[in-house]
Amino acid sequence: METRRLILVLGGIAVVLVLVLGGMSLALLGGGDDDGGGDDATPEAESSPLPERVQGELRLFGPDPLTLDPACASDAGSAEYIVEIFSGLVSFDRDLNLIADIAEEIPTKENGGISSDGTVYTFKIRKGVKFHDGSRQVRAEDFKFSMERSLDPRTLSTVGVVYLDDIVGAKEFATGEADEVTGIRVVNNFTLEITIDEPKSYFLAKLSYPTAYVVDEREVGDSDCFRGAEWTLKPNGTGPFKLEDWELGQRIVLAPNDDFHLEPKPSLAKVTYFLAGGSALVMYENDEIDLTGVGINDIERIRDPSEPLNAEFSESPSLDTFYIGFNTQEPPFDDPKVRQAFAMAIDKDVLAEVVLKELVVPAEGVLPPGMPGFNEDLEGLPFDPERARELLEEAGGVDSLGDISLLSSGRGANVAPTITAVAAMWEENLGVSVDLPQLQFGQFLQDIDEGNFQTFSLGWIADYVDPQNFLDIKLHSESDNNETMYSNPEVDALLEEARTEQDQARRLELYQQAEEIIVQDAPWIPLFHGKSNALTKPYVQDYFLAPFVIPSLRYISIAR
Amino acid sequence: MQGLAGYIIRRLLWAPLILLAVSLVTFALGRFGPGDPVRMIQGQYPDPEQGQRIAEELGYNDSFFVQYWRWLKDAVQGDFGETLEPRGFQVKDVIFPRLWVTFQYNLLALVIIFGVGIPAGIWAALRQGSWMDPFTIGVLLLFTSVPVLVSIPVLQWLFALKLGWLPSSGWEVREFFGVEIGMMSKRILLPLIVLTLPGFAGVARYTRAQVLEVLDQDFVRTARAKGLEEFTVVSRHIARNALLPLATMMGFALVGLLSGSIFLETLLGIPGIGSYAFEAVSAKDSNAIMAIVLITSTAFIVANLLVDISYGFIDPRIRLGAGAER
Repeated sequence: METRRLILVLGGIAVVLVLVLGGMSLALLGGGDDDGGGDDATPEAESSPLPERVQGELRLFGPDPLTLDPACASDAGSAEYIVEIFSGLVSFDRDLNLIADIAEEIPTKENGGISSDGTVYTFKIRKGVKFHDGSRQVRAEDFKFSMERSLDPRTLSTVGVVYLDDIVGAKEFATGEADEVTGIRVVNNFTLEITIDEPKSYFLAKLSYPTAYVVDEREVGDSDCFRGAEWTLKPNGTGPFKLEDWELGQRIVLAPNDDFHLEPKPSLAKVTYFLAGGSALVMYENDEIDLTGVGINDIERIRDPSEPLNAEFSESPSLDTFYIGFNTQEPPFDDPKVRQAFAMAIDKDVLAEVVLKELVVPAEGVLPPGMPGFNEDLEGLPFDPERARELLEEAGGVDSLGDISLLSSGRGANVAPTITAVAAMWEENLGVSVDLPQLQFGQFLQDIDEGNFQTFSLGWIADYVDPQNFLDIKLHSESDNNETMYSNPEVDALLEEARTEQDQARRLELYQQAEEIIVQDAPWIPLFHGKSNALTKPYVQDYFLAPFVIPSLRYISIAR
Repeated sequence: MQGLAGYIIRRLLWAPLILLAVSLVTFALGRFGPGDPVRMIQGQYPDPEQGQRIAEELGYNDSFFVQYWRWLKDAVQGDFGETLEPRGFQVKDVIFPRLWVTFQYNLLALVIIFGVGIPAGIWAALRQGSWMDPFTIGVLLLFTSVPVLVSIPVLQWLFALKLGWLPSSGWEVREFFGVEIGMMSKRILLPLIVLTLPGFAGVARYTRAQVLEVLDQDFVRTARAKGLEEFTVVSRHIARNALLPLATMMGFALVGLLSGSIFLETLLGIPGIGSYAFEAVSAKDSNAIMAIVLITSTAFIVANLLVDISYGFIDPRIRLGAGAER
């Protein structure tokens, strides 16, 4: 009998605890009724377990941004927010046309905006463009200040010089040798003149990158890329959306800028990004977010036409290229024949279709489809194991190679399936043995800088829409970004000529010629180009998959 | 009680030394471990001169001890520097909100785990011999052995997709007198279930084993022979003796309040300290790592102290005073 009493007491304690704790969470949830009773539900007593979505709100699963300071953003995850909150002289529209943003029009030689020698750009600043707080109009000197801030050595931006180095005096200013960038001149409040070192037609495209965006001098103070980022919690931008709230690691909330100076103006009432992680697809299926990408584990299910979600699925190519790079300065890969042999031993169709389940398309050359100058007729080195073995034999045979190492970066989990597949193809088709060292990203980059590798795997995503961004930046012998140390005077000459060629058709032709030589020389094995994909709720209208980061939210609306 | 006070003071005096050692080792691991943080920051934009400037700004160019000394001097004054991810924010502004999140869901879980687990364990032990006992143990064993990587997707599927009762993930707060409380939201339920099922089962099984051991002791028979009520026998004699080892367990659980779980927070989208610790380590974010390690170490020291003190209360024969040191 006594035991029973004891059990009752113990059980009682347990039940009370569960009730108190569980009940507290449930009952206090806005007085909510959790099992869908209450037919005439007020917003608070909604039957859905989720907080009521604001009319016209778009909810997204967002990347946790590294920074919202336009001068410092070097990654797409940060740029995605910055291009919505801030803006610059020029921008890209949804069809990837370069458009005037805060500039009144795109300067051309015809409208007198570009000097006859192609080096002096005159921008008319649109009148009446205000910072988000409405306190002040954007003027030419704001641009001078903002661009100089991006270049200032004290700002410590890793990308300032990369995007603005064509401007006369930019390098001198960035190294601290000059007090101002002489090539940026404020003519009057609404006229800005920028002089560049050579008539480079891709210069305007580079200005679409956040480093050239305008920031409010009054709030950035002496913050740099590593200190004093607090101002970015409530930045005073000029973009189509205002940052309403940024709770670090939790959420970002954007509100429309009703005074935005371009059409269409933003029509979403609110945009909420969830930054804390979770399972995006489950959140989407549970109506917690309105839009999500689909990863490799779920792609087969979503592509199945009998899956209800299939109707909400779309995919489109993105502007990037993933490749294997060779160390072209050291044996054995200083011999083009060896590089060609390794390239011809890879079946890219298998990589794209079987290993990556068509999340990518096989690459023939360096430029991704959609990029001006993309050569549809370009034929890469074919998959031909027999020819590959012959080439290898001509170059000295398999036995002279030793173990080949294929370097990749990662967090210590399994090596990516594409890397293992490439290694397996090399082993099977060439008879070589392949090591797969995997390094933490910082160490990986360091080893590549120091030439401490044989082959590596990496990708390159477009920063702006111009072939120069791929071919010149990655494969010119003097570029910092040329990891393979590839050097071909003929290619260099073509790339240099293309920099200043004023005839656009001729210019693209030069890039195509350079690309053809590069593909045959094979410092890279271009493996594949990515595709972006999305599930979109039916009420999200005019959504489009941008091939790289452009301001896109203002085109989207919510029906109902 | 004089002895106890002295003991606590002595232990607390040791704490700074332990923390100093921990910080030195962590700092050294960060500096001498593989991968250059500056190179990582630069990513695919490797300008060596700018790299030098960044290294200078972040203080990486000085000798190890100069760097450590500077860090220590600032840390003692409460300045833990800036984070690298997100870039340029005060460590405390990034870490404290996350600690608070982790603390909240873990506190609730802790209360449930021990509040339900201990009574359940005692109940099962007293049922030894009946079919209820192996049945309960079997169920508990099942709960303990399912890893969170498995239980989270299953529970998400069940509660969010199938039943539609709960949001699949995320964290939501309400403000009370300027304090952001996440305990009032349904979103806390999924992490709670994920944490409490195995935790509760573990505590219950452990309690049961302890109680069974105590049940066979002579003093229990004596107590019963004296004709004490069963309730008194269980609460005063059995529970008290069985609880001692559980205090140690609870101590470690307290540390969890301030460390969180990487998997749980990442999979369930909870902006706590566990997922952040993983990010900080991946980014080689030295300032953030140092702060997180120090907080966890402090939690360990305090929890251990609390456990030791609690021994004295649970079992008066344990003396923590001067005598114990000899």
